[in-house]
Amino acid sequence: MNVVTETLWAVARGLPLTIGIWLASVATGLLAGVLVACARHFGPRLLNAVLLTLVEIVRGVPFVVQAFLLYYGGPFIGLDLTPILAGWLALSIYATAYFSEIFRAGFLAIPRGHTEAARLLGLSTNQTIIRILLPEMALSVLPALANLAVILVKETAILSIITVPELTFTVSGVGSATFAFAQTMTALALSYWALVELTAYAARRLERGIARATLGTA
Amino acid sequence: MTAPFLLAEKLERRVGDTQILDRIDLAVQKGEVVGLIGPSGSGKSSLLRCIAGLDPITGGRVLVEGRTPTPGDGTIGMVFQQFNLWPHLTAQENVTLALRLVRKQSRSEAAERARTMLDRVDLLKFADRRPAQLSGGQQQRVAIARTLAMEPRLVLFDEPTASLDPELTTEVLDVIRGLADTGMTMLVVSHEMGFVASVATRAVFLDHGRILVDGPTKQVFRDAQEPRLRRFLATYLQRVAWAPEPEPATDNPALLEIIENPPGEGMPLTSTKPGA
Repeated sequence: MNVVTETLWAVARGLPLTIGIWLASVATGLLAGVLVACARHFGPRLLNAVLLTLVEIVRGVPFVVQAFLLYYGGPFIGLDLTPILAGWLALSIYATAYFSEIFRAGFLAIPRGHTEAARLLGLSTNQTIIRILLPEMALSVLPALANLAVILVKETAILSIITVPELTFTVSGVGSATFAFAQTMTALALSYWALVELTAYAARRLERGIARATLGTA
Repeated sequence: MTAPFLLAEKLERRVGDTQILDRIDLAVQKGEVVGLIGPSGSGKSSLLRCIAGLDPITGGRVLVEGRTPTPGDGTIGMVFQQFNLWPHLTAQENVTLALRLVRKQSRSEAAERARTMLDRVDLLKFADRRPAQLSGGQQQRVAIARTLAMEPRLVLFDEPTASLDPELTTEVLDVIRGLADTGMTMLVVSHEMGFVASVATRAVFLDHGRILVDGPTKQVFRDAQEPRLRRFLATYLQRVAWAPEPEPATDNPALLEIIENPPGEGMPLTSTKPGA
């Protein structure tokens, strides 16, 4: 097999896992991020303080260190995870911290009167969040969410150092074996760039869809 | 005397060192329309918000029909200065949401009720429009329809026309006037003195968080004895008096009466008339 074929084969082997871990982490991060933001915005002060500290820790430590700590340090606290599980969990925690801040900004940007009107009409906090605040903020937070999703695609590359057989792991393996670093790294760069472009395209489509659904405009 | 419908007793709200409401006593009978007037920062909106339970009180109590109301218990409805419609929902959906989620009405029941309420504020034809596609006056009328759909016992209006131009103001005030005619108990905070004079059965003047004057509207406006109230009304009338000559067919007879027959001699009102 020549270098090109080997590289393409490596891309084909690594790409599904990269996409899988990325989508799973984005989904987990979005869900947990909304919950953290809700807890911080509507919950008691103590809970807010605890969550703020956790978010600050996650934001203050480089992702590569977090991934290392979770995978290699996990067994010391009884958390013996496979590389893929550790990778998914590390990226999800990282995503949660940043997604929660985006949603928190979204909550803060909605005029207080919209919540007060709901409260006086008898809607519960959960109903207000699900039926009013989240749909209302959807359009304004989407660019920030898409931006983070793009960053997370690229952060998956870091999972190669905890031996997750994702794109960077498989392709750089070919580079190490053949010394064709220029070719393999170019293939890697193009792969991530394609993923990022696809993400941006999907975000634009979603933005138009949300605009139609929430504002009645295209 | 029957127990008042709404009773605020020694109502206090203090934030830090600032006394926002200072031992407010207010009793409102069923069917009364009370106009709350006063300069900005006098506590009018705070009083409404404390009665509605949106702002915490630091002293005293509020009773509606003998019970302490809580926000969302269906007792009190409120119409805000900024309308506060939910922008992602159509006019009809703004009205149906609480009917569906709180009243547990079926989709068709809620839609029927919403359309009735929108018809009442003459907006049925815009039921499918979103707030951004409506004028300010129309948005406020949707907000009124949304509030009335839940059949509150008491409706609070917090400067409902403050962010509207005079024409849009008129269309909103007409709706509130129509509501007053149905016997709804209402508290209206407004800087539209003519409107308060013509609609409210009672006027309450606040300044620095205290009620300075409380009485039948005509008496409050015509025989204003309290110096602060006189000064407040004089400033307001000065603005009106220097404006272009109003059409004689204005629907604010009480206000016209005040302009044409200023009360008492030596009051500052007289000196503000053009050519005086």
